[in-house]
Amino acid sequence: MDPSEVEFLAEKEVVKIIPNFSLDKIYLIGGDLGPFNPGLPVDVPVWLALNLKQRQKCRIVPPEWMDVEKLEEIRELERKEDTFTPVPSPYYMELTKLLLNHASDNIPKADEIRTLVKDIWDTRIAKLRLSADSFISQQEAHAKLDNLTLMEINTTRSFLLDTLNCMYKLRSNLQPGSSGGKAQDHQ
Amino acid sequence: MPCERKPMRYGHSEGHTDVCFDDAGKYIVTCGSDGDVRIWESLDDDDPKSINVGEKVYSLALKNGKLVTAASNNTVQIHTFPEGDPDGILTRFTTNATHITYNRSGSRVAAGSSDFMVKVVEMYDSSQQKTLRGHTAPILSVTFDPKDEFLASASCDGSVAVWKIEEQTQVTSWPLLQKSNDVINAKSLCRLAWQPKAAKLLAVPVETTVQLYQRDSWAQVGTLSDDLGTQAINVVAWSPCGKFLAAGSIGGLLTVWDVESKLCVERQKHEKGYTVCGLAWHPSGGQIAYTDTEGCLGVLDGLSSSSSSSSTTASSTTTKVSLWSYMKASPSHPNGLDKFVDDDDAGSAIVPPAAVAAPLRPVYDGPMPTPPQKAFQPGSTPAHLMHRFMMWNSVGIVRGYNDDQDNAIDVEFHDTAVHHAMHLTNSLGHTVADLSQEAVLLACPGTDELASKLQCLHFSSWDTNKEWMVDLPKGEDVQALCLGQGWAAAATSALILRLFSIGGVQRELFSLPGPVVCIAGHGEQLLVVYHRGTGFDGEQALGVQLLQFGQKRRQVIHGEPLPLSRKSHLSWLGFTAEGTPCFIDSEGVVRLLNRSLGNMWTPVCNTRDNCKGKSDHYWMVGVHENPQQLRCIPCKGSRYPPTLPRPAVAVLPFKLPLCQTTTEKGQMEEQYWRSVLLHNHYGFLSSSGYEIDEEGQSQAQKEQQELLMKMFALSCKLEREFRSVELAELMTQNVVTLAIRYASRSHRMALAQRLSDLALEKANQLQGEEPQEEEEEEPLQYTRRNTGSHRQAQEEEVDEEQGQEEHMDEGDVAESKRQGKSRESLSISSPTPLISCISGLGRSGSAGGQNRVTNVLDSMMSSSKKPTALLSSSGSTGKLNKTPFLKPLAPRPKTKTQSTLLHMNAPKAANKKAAEEREPAVCKLKQTEAPPPASPAENVENKKHKSGFQLWLEDNRRIILADNPDLEETDVIKEAIGRFRTLSADDRLTWTERAKGQSGDVADMKKRKRGEEESRGDKNGQSEADETSAKKKKPVDTSAKLSAFAFNKN
Repeated sequence: MDPSEVEFLAEKEVVKIIPNFSLDKIYLIGGDLGPFNPGLPVDVPVWLALNLKQRQKCRIVPPEWMDVEKLEEIRELERKEDTFTPVPSPYYMELTKLLLNHASDNIPKADEIRTLVKDIWDTRIAKLRLSADSFISQQEAHAKLDNLTLMEINTTRSFLLDTLNCMYKLRSNLQPGSSGGKAQDHQ
Repeated sequence: MPCERKPMRYGHSEGHTDVCFDDAGKYIVTCGSDGDVRIWESLDDDDPKSINVGEKVYSLALKNGKLVTAASNNTVQIHTFPEGDPDGILTRFTTNATHITYNRSGSRVAAGSSDFMVKVVEMYDSSQQKTLRGHTAPILSVTFDPKDEFLASASCDGSVAVWKIEEQTQVTSWPLLQKSNDVINAKSLCRLAWQPKAAKLLAVPVETTVQLYQRDSWAQVGTLSDDLGTQAINVVAWSPCGKFLAAGSIGGLLTVWDVESKLCVERQKHEKGYTVCGLAWHPSGGQIAYTDTEGCLGVLDGLSSSSSSSSTTASSTTTKVSLWSYMKASPSHPNGLDKFVDDDDAGSAIVPPAAVAAPLRPVYDGPMPTPPQKAFQPGSTPAHLMHRFMMWNSVGIVRGYNDDQDNAIDVEFHDTAVHHAMHLTNSLGHTVADLSQEAVLLACPGTDELASKLQCLHFSSWDTNKEWMVDLPKGEDVQALCLGQGWAAAATSALILRLFSIGGVQRELFSLPGPVVCIAGHGEQLLVVYHRGTGFDGEQALGVQLLQFGQKRRQVIHGEPLPLSRKSHLSWLGFTAEGTPCFIDSEGVVRLLNRSLGNMWTPVCNTRDNCKGKSDHYWMVGVHENPQQLRCIPCKGSRYPPTLPRPAVAVLPFKLPLCQTTTEKGQMEEQYWRSVLLHNHYGFLSSSGYEIDEEGQSQAQKEQQELLMKMFALSCKLEREFRSVELAELMTQNVVTLAIRYASRSHRMALAQRLSDLALEKANQLQGEEPQEEEEEEPLQYTRRNTGSHRQAQEEEVDEEQGQEEHMDEGDVAESKRQGKSRESLSISSPTPLISCISGLGRSGSAGGQNRVTNVLDSMMSSSKKPTALLSSSGSTGKLNKTPFLKPLAPRPKTKTQSTLLHMNAPKAANKKAAEEREPAVCKLKQTEAPPPASPAENVENKKHKSGFQLWLEDNRRIILADNPDLEETDVIKEAIGRFRTLSADDRLTWTERAKGQSGDVADMKKRKRGEEESRGDKNGQSEADETSAKKKKPVDTSAKLSAFAFNKN
């Protein structure tokens, strides 16, 4: 899966915008949107919000979790816990990137938020690598990881699967007699 | 220690005073706020010597024949004593000195000043000065260490500091006092005193006690207090022997302590309880002179302290409380408390005779008047904020910035299609603003030089001058302003309301009955709230006026009291987007004008119910009736939102405070009455000539009837038949029929019988009212028809016919019945659709679910189906009416969008109509010369008499019946509609034209009607105008048509 595909999925998330135009309900396959009243917040998918924002037709109201204090809390929790903590949104990374790239003027303390989310992401990815490492080194058959987001799984999936395949091949090619010692060496 | 309090005598004019003795103790020297220094030989001296040393004297000190004074000219002057000749200036400050004092030898003078500095100046050479800096507020008092090493000072910054004079450094500092910003506001003068001779202790008056600090260690070693002293001590003074300390308090209590034993040895009360601000001990130690803030001088005599040092130990155990009474000379209190004196009370330091209290003043404890609330702009945050909202309404936001860098106003529109954002420099200092779709109105209060100004940025003007300004007469300030449609209003401090046209023409002005609180405008309505009188106990007494301009100018509300919640004030006033007056008080209760209930105010919501915290509030920015929305900004812990971060609007629902809204019954009742209340505006809008959302209206009516039906069912279930009948009385006739069916199906025959009586009664009533209704309601209906018709193209007319039963208001029913009658007169054999529907209903529901007529409830549920189902071609037009803002009929911004639709001629006709309605007179003229061209939309008018479809139906009914002899009446109509629609457009057009022609020549009944109408028209000019314009809709010649078309294109 491509990261852009994950981002595409994230664009289905709903955000609040404050339109500066008036439009009646619009009827789309995904559901009805609107009506749009100037100055009145309305829920729309991210893709529409960004489109309208780029045309300067609205202001985006940042999601509730996109707030320095809340993110700091999450970051601390994430650093403290060994396991993955629940994230504020299943698409937190994608949404942060999308909204901050296109609507940073509507989000107070955009730079701090960017840093905080990056911190959270880094912490989680580090955990992910660590667990992958121990997964392989202990030759476990399965592992359970809770609270992972799609994007996070996606970053490690191709690499991890290829590696496991490769290792499997290497292992199965070894002679059964010498395999024990060699495999141990390998690890 | 017996002492005698001598009666006080007048020394100076009232204000701060100070007192001291000369070295020998021969004279008492006082100074006061009259700028004089007076030298008294004794208290009985009737001719004291006066020396004028300045405008005001704050403090004085005397030693070695040199009198030093601190005067209001910011100098410290020297005068010779007792001659009183000026002997030069000792030092100067940037502001006045507050306290001066000599050292023991008299070689130096210390002075503390309001400019936060303490100066120590050598007497023989005033150029030798030492400045002690470190206090951060005006100096209250200074005192020298008798050994000349230290100096203590007290300041308004709350600290008492000790300085090393030579090094000019602070040795120590105690935060003892209450902070204040100036000497005048200080709670106490805090005159410090250093123990003479031994120089061991520093006395600091702190609140009601005197704290003693030890020299060198600077530790607190004791506290002198007196239980009777309830007020802060102002001044302290040591006896010359250093054993006793005298203190004078704010409340006029004079206390003397033996410092050794810390016991109170003498207590005297000022005869009038005035604040003692000067206190001096006679060099011999036997007398204390004191002055008060009223300028009087008093003396305590007979203190034998230093001489009887041996006896003090004895006397210290004996406390004598002398309570002295009023001046002997005072005739009003001859013997009141006079001989309360001299009761010896051994062993106890406290004798609290309660009767000492100040003479009783008559106390008023009835209701207290409330300070009237100030004028404000609804939707603005307070003017003292540096960054604030000057206006937030449904059009946009006006923000005011007033800080060091910038004084500016930002105008931003919610809908950027109205206008782009503006940034103005606020050089005039505007404080109030309003914003509408047409203009920005700003006003500033007047100053000494400049008059109050009203500035209008009329951005929608079509010429190049987008701005005008008006100066108000001198002394008249704009206090509140508002914008309406095409006009602006400003209420001024002269209790005048001035009206302006939006282009700047001065219009009417009128006087307000009281100081304005706020005003609000909408369309052609003006709402004024003013102070009707004085409110008591936290209530405001506000009055409200509602005026209507436009065609019929009238006052709708004539200054009735505005019903606020208990102990609250008005916090928002305005109109809903639909034009109903509305206000919110500080308790968060939203009240809406109920036009159908004699213009009473109905509470529709309490915004505080939605708050989480106690100090959270909602700040209102707009109210909409359709959809039902209260738009407001949640403010956490405040009443007003900050400008940054940009607050987000939240939407609150309406909720009538009906009882038991947790039960199903209560909920439905609330829903029903809310729906009724919030759809009142349809009646108002149509009667004042605005376009209304017919679809919305019929939907609302359906909703109401549906709720009634549900309530009916509920009360049936609960065996409440009487209540059921009550509910049925609220229903329209059609729904009553349904109710009958429901009752009979649930085997409540008695109920069904009563209901059918009721239905009959209703029907009779309708017929009885008919002539009246024709007179009263017809103009109204015409308007509605006309206004609605523009977006309903030709096919809809068919739908109108068929869907008529869905218009459930009585007016419509009556109308269709009348139609029916006229038709009956033509062909009695064919009953009208409506009647047949009802009868069909009454018999059974056999006609099938797809027939909307038979299943009213279904059709009520799926009401939105109606416009789309049959109007596939013009359906989308019906949906454009959602915009929340009012649209007058005349300028039609919608036509642009409509022109893209299939039926070009429909909007065209609408345009023409709109034009005609603006000038009915012109229309009438045109009508006489131009023959009516065939425009489909016109038929809509005629259908009142007979539409093309109806004619066609009459002709073809037989054929249909012949083809399908077993059809029900309703099915006949359905079939007929189907057939009619299969006809070619041209054919249909001919039919409709025939219908028109027929209305002219065939039905003489119609002629009679017109005659009636015309005679009626004489009575009511307005309705005539409406009617004629409605009737003679189409007199526009082709060129006008073309021009209308061109306009659409653009």
